[in-house]
Amino acid sequence: MASAAQSRIKSISYAKYGYMFIAPFFLVYCFFQIWPLIYTFILSFKGNQSNNAAFVGLDNYTTILFGQGMAAGAAATKAEFLQALGNTFILWFGNFVPQILLSLLLAVWFTDAKVKLPGKGFFKVVMYMPNIITAASVAALYVNLFGDSQYYFVNSLLMNAGMANPIHFVTDPVISKGMVMFIQTWLWFGNTMIMLMSGIMGISPSLFEAADIDGANSSQQFFNITLPLLQPIMVYTLVTSMIGGLQMFDLPYLYHNGSNFSRSLETVAVYIYFNFNKGTVEQANYGYAGAASIIIFAITAILGSITFYMNRDKDAIAKKKQRKMAEKQQKARAKQGGGLTI
Amino acid sequence: MSMKQQYGAQKDNYHKQIMIKSTIILVVCILLTLICLVPIYILIVNATHTHTELAENPSQLFFGGALGENMKILTNDIAEDAGKALRRVARQYSSVFNIGRGYLNSLIIAGCTTLLTVFFSALTAYGLVVYDFKLKGPAYTFIIGVMMIPVQVSSAGFVRFMYSLNLINNFIPLIIPAIAAPAVIFFMHSSLKSTFPLSIVEAARIDGCSEFRTFMSVALPLMKPAMAVQAIFAFVQNWNNYYTQNMILKNDKMMTVPIMVSKVLQFDKDVNYGVNYLCIALSIVPIVVVYVALSKFIIAGVALGGVKE
Amino acid sequence: MSKLKRTLALLATLAVTSTAFVACGDKKEDSNASPAENNNSSVADDANAGDADADADANADADANADADADADADADADAPAAVGGEISLPDTDDVLTIVCWTDTDLNNMFDIYTPVQASEVKYQNCGGNGTEASTQYANYLNSGDDVDLFVAEAGWILNYINDDSMSAPMEQLGISTADYADAYQYTVEIGTDNNGVLKAASWQAAAGGWAYNATLAEQYLGVTSEDDMQKKVSNWDNFKATAEELKTASDGAVTMTVSLGGLWQAFSTAQNAAWVDGTTINTGIASDFVAMAKEYVDGGYIDPSVEQWSTEWENYGKDGKTLGYFFSTWCLGEGAQLDTNCGTEGNWRLIQGPQEYFWGGSWLCVSPNCNTATEAANFIRTFTCNADTMEEYALYSGDFANNKVAMNKIIADGSNSNPSLGGQDQFAVLAGVAEGIKMSDSISKYDQNLKDTLLNTLKDNISEDADTILQKFTDQALADNTDLNA
Repeated sequence: MASAAQSRIKSISYAKYGYMFIAPFFLVYCFFQIWPLIYTFILSFKGNQSNNAAFVGLDNYTTILFGQGMAAGAAATKAEFLQALGNTFILWFGNFVPQILLSLLLAVWFTDAKVKLPGKGFFKVVMYMPNIITAASVAALYVNLFGDSQYYFVNSLLMNAGMANPIHFVTDPVISKGMVMFIQTWLWFGNTMIMLMSGIMGISPSLFEAADIDGANSSQQFFNITLPLLQPIMVYTLVTSMIGGLQMFDLPYLYHNGSNFSRSLETVAVYIYFNFNKGTVEQANYGYAGAASIIIFAITAILGSITFYMNRDKDAIAKKKQRKMAEKQQKARAKQGGGLTI
Repeated sequence: MSMKQQYGAQKDNYHKQIMIKSTIILVVCILLTLICLVPIYILIVNATHTHTELAENPSQLFFGGALGENMKILTNDIAEDAGKALRRVARQYSSVFNIGRGYLNSLIIAGCTTLLTVFFSALTAYGLVVYDFKLKGPAYTFIIGVMMIPVQVSSAGFVRFMYSLNLINNFIPLIIPAIAAPAVIFFMHSSLKSTFPLSIVEAARIDGCSEFRTFMSVALPLMKPAMAVQAIFAFVQNWNNYYTQNMILKNDKMMTVPIMVSKVLQFDKDVNYGVNYLCIALSIVPIVVVYVALSKFIIAGVALGGVKE
Repeated sequence: MSKLKRTLALLATLAVTSTAFVACGDKKEDSNASPAENNNSSVADDANAGDADADADANADADANADADADADADADADAPAAVGGEISLPDTDDVLTIVCWTDTDLNNMFDIYTPVQASEVKYQNCGGNGTEASTQYANYLNSGDDVDLFVAEAGWILNYINDDSMSAPMEQLGISTADYADAYQYTVEIGTDNNGVLKAASWQAAAGGWAYNATLAEQYLGVTSEDDMQKKVSNWDNFKATAEELKTASDGAVTMTVSLGGLWQAFSTAQNAAWVDGTTINTGIASDFVAMAKEYVDGGYIDPSVEQWSTEWENYGKDGKTLGYFFSTWCLGEGAQLDTNCGTEGNWRLIQGPQEYFWGGSWLCVSPNCNTATEAANFIRTFTCNADTMEEYALYSGDFANNKVAMNKIIADGSNSNPSLGGQDQFAVLAGVAEGIKMSDSISKYDQNLKDTLLNTLKDNISEDADTILQKFTDQALADNTDLNA
C-alpha cells in the first residue's frame, strides 16, 4: 500500500508533462476556434447592416426562427432561413439514402467470398477516386458538362439524340437539387462503401459459415447477420453524414451559372456565408449569420451528443479494462519493490 | 446414377446462380466505373479542343489537338497580332489562374497543415495516454466533444477576428489552427492506446531520456503508420479546403487551386470553353495521378478509419 | 511488396510535406515582413498627413510661401513630370502601383496605353471573377494591409466604398480636385463625390448605351434600310414592342427582338430617373413596371428569358441571326468586345439610340487611404480621367466612350473613329447625346447591385409565375438581404 502511494506521488511529478504536451492544442483551439465561436455568439446579439454596432438582444433569433423582429423583411428572412434549412435537409437526405444503399450493396458484394469478381481492387480504387477531388473543381466540372443550353456536353448529346429543348440541369430548382444530390453521392459512395466493407469484414466469418450450413440464402444472411451487426457503424455513418450535411457548402455554393449563387440550392452554410460575406460591415448581416451559426451549433451539439452517447459505452468498457490492467501492473510493480519511477 | 445426376444438376444450378450473380455484379461495377471515369475523361478530352470547336460541337468524345493552344491562352502567351478578342480572353484567364502559383500555395498550406496536424495531434494524444494528471479525463472528453463542431459555425466570428488582427491575406489563419485537430487526436489516441507499449517509456526514462526526447525518438517512430494515414487525409482535406481559404485569401499572389477554379467559374463574360476545361483539368488531374500512385495505401487507410470508429 | 509500397507512399508524403515546409518557412518570413511594412507605411502615412496639414497651415500663415519645408512629398512632386495641379499629400514610398479590380478588361486597354509612359511598375490585383463578387471581396482586401493604391468600383456599389473613409481617400490627397473635371460628364463627378461633398472617385468612361441591330434582318423582315427609320420604329417602348410583334409575325417567330432580360433591364431601369431606394424605402414601382414589361415580352415571345446574359447561347443569337438586336453599352462596342465577337465583323450591324437614353454600368477609380505610390497613382488617374489627349487615344483604342467632352467631340468632329462591326459607323457620334443626358447621380444607391441582381434572378427563376408573385418574391428577398430597408 505504501509503495502504491509512493508511486502515485512519483506519478504526480510527471503530470506537468501531460499538461505541457496537451497545451499547444488547447491554446490554439481556444484562440482560433473557441474565441471565434464566442465572438459569433456575441455577433448574434448585435444588429445588421448599418445597425451593426447596436445590441439587439434576441431579435436575430426571433427573426430567423419566427419571423418576428425589427427589420421590415423579418418574415421573409425567416422564410429564407427555413428554406435554407429545408434545402440542407433535402440535399442531405437525397444524397444519403442512395449513397448508403449503393455502398451497402457494393460492400456486401465485394465481401462475398462466393462471388467471383475480377479486378475487385481496381473497382475499389476507381470508386473511391471522386472523394479525393476538390469539391470546387467537381462543381466546376459538372457546371461545364451539364450547362443549361445546347452549348454544353450533356444537353448537346441529348439534343443530338433528338430531344427538342435543353434540360436546365443548373438553374431548374428541382433538377439542380437532383444534380447536387447526384454529385454528392458520386463523391462519397466510394468512401462509405470502404467503411462498410471493413465493418462487414470485422464480422466473424464463422457466423456466415454457420448460416451457410443451416441453409440460409444470401439475402437471409444479409438481413439476419450483416445488417444487425453493421448497425453501430451505420448509425455512426448516419450521424457523421448528417453533421457533414449541415456543413454542405462548396457544391451548392459553386453549382451555378453566372455571378450569383443559386437560391434554390441555398443551404444553411451558404446562408451564413452569404450574410456575413457581403462586403463592408455596413453591407453585411452579421447578426443573422451569427444567429444562424448558433442554431446550427445547437443542432450539431444534439447530433454530436447522440454519437457520443453511443460511443460512450465502448469507451467506458475500455477504460474499466485499462484501469484493471493498470492496477495489475501496479501490483506487479509493488512486488518488484517499486524500483521503477512511474 | 440418378442421384448423382440430380446432385450434379443442383451443383450446376448453384454454379449457374453464382455465375449470373457475378455477371450482374460485374456489369454494375463496370457501370459505376464508367460513371466515375467518364466525366474525367470528357474533361481531359475537352481541354484539348478550342473554344470554337466546343461551341460548335460541345459533345466531343475524342481528343483534339488544341491543348497547346489552350495552354498558351491560359499562360497569356499569345502573339500581339492574335486579335484583341483572344487577348482579352487570355488576359482574363491568366490574371486569375496561375497554376504554378496555385500549386505552390496549395502545397504550402496543405503541407504545413499536415505536418502541424500530425505532429501536434501525436503530441497531444501521447500526452493524454502516457501521463496521468488531474484534467486528463476532462481534456479528452472535451476533445471528443468538440470533434463534431463544423467550421461554418464559428466562421462569421473567425473572419471578423482575423480581420481585426490584420491576418486577412495571410497564411497564418489557415496553417496555425491545424495544430488543433480533435478528430485526428481522437484517432491517434485510440491507436496509441491499443498499440503503444508504455513500458518503452519507462525504459527510456531509465536510460535518462528527457520526456520530450522520449516522445520524439521513441514514440514518434512507433506512431508512424497511424501518422501516415492521418497525414494523407489531412493533406487531402486541406488541399481541398475551399471555404476557409476563400474567406481569408484575397490576394492574387496567395490564390490556391480551389479558389482559382472558383474564380474561373465566376467569369460572366469572355468565357472560353476549352480553357475552362483546361483549368479544371489542371486542378484535378495531378491529384488523380498522385491518388492512383498511393491508392492501395489510401484505401487501406480509409478502411482503418472505418474500423476504428 | 505491400511494405515496399507503404514505404514508398510514406516517403512520397514526407517528401511532399517537407518541401512544402521549406517553402512555408520562406512564406512565413514574407508574411511577417508585410504587416511590418504596412505598419511602417501607415505610420509614414499618418506622419505625412500630419506634414501636409502643417504645411497647409504654414502656407496659409506665410501667404502661399509654398516651398516652406522641403519634405519628401514636395521632392516627389518636383520629380513627377505630370503632377500638375494640387499638392500630393499621400506618400511615395513604394515603387509598384497596385490597382485592385476584378477581371475587368477596360483596365487592360488602359495598361496598353499606359505601359510606355509609366514610371513605376503597375500591377493589376484581381478580387473576384466579376463585379458583384469583387464588391464582396473588396472590404476584406482593402484593409488587409496588402499593397493597394487605387481600386476600381462599379456604379452599383461604389457608394459603400466612397462613403467609408477607412476604404477610400479624397482625390485631393493626390492633388486632384473637382476643377480638373470641367470637361467630364457631370454625372460621373457627382457620383464620385461622397456624402460630405468630397471628391473620392473619378471615371474614365461615360457608359452610355445604345441598341445595336442587324441591318440585314431589319431590311429582310421590317423593310427598314436606314438607321433613322429604324430609330423611328423603336423610338419609345410602345414602338419597340410593336416592332417586336411585327418582327415576330414577319419572321414566323424565328427572330426575336432582343435576347436577354439583362439588356432590357439596363435600358429600362435607368430610364426611370427615379432612385431604387428612397431614403430607406425600396421604390417597388420600378420593379413592378419592369416585371410587367418582362412578362409581356416573355409571354409575347419577343425574348427568351432562359438565356444567360453574355453566355455562348446569348452570343450565338447574334451570330446565327436569331435576334434583331442587342442592348449594348459603350464598353461592348470596341474591338474584341461583345459586338465584335458576338455579331461577327461582317459589318452589317448598326447602332442607334433605341427606345430610351440609358447608361449601363460604368466604373470609377478610387484612391485607397493606404496609397503609397502617390505620384504614379495621380498620374494614372489624370491620364485616363482628365487628360483629353490620352483619353482620346484610349477611346480610339478601346472603343469605350471616354469621360471627356473635349476628346469625344474632337473624335466625332474629326471622324477619326469608324467601327468595322457597325459598317464603319462611329458609335461615339450616336452615344454623345446619350452621355450628355445621363442623370444617374440622383438615382443610385448603395443597394443597387444587390437589388438589381435580386430582381433579375427572381424574374428568371419565377418567370412562369404571375407578376404579383414575382414582385412579392423580389421584395421579400430584397428586404431579407437588406435589413436597413423597408418596402
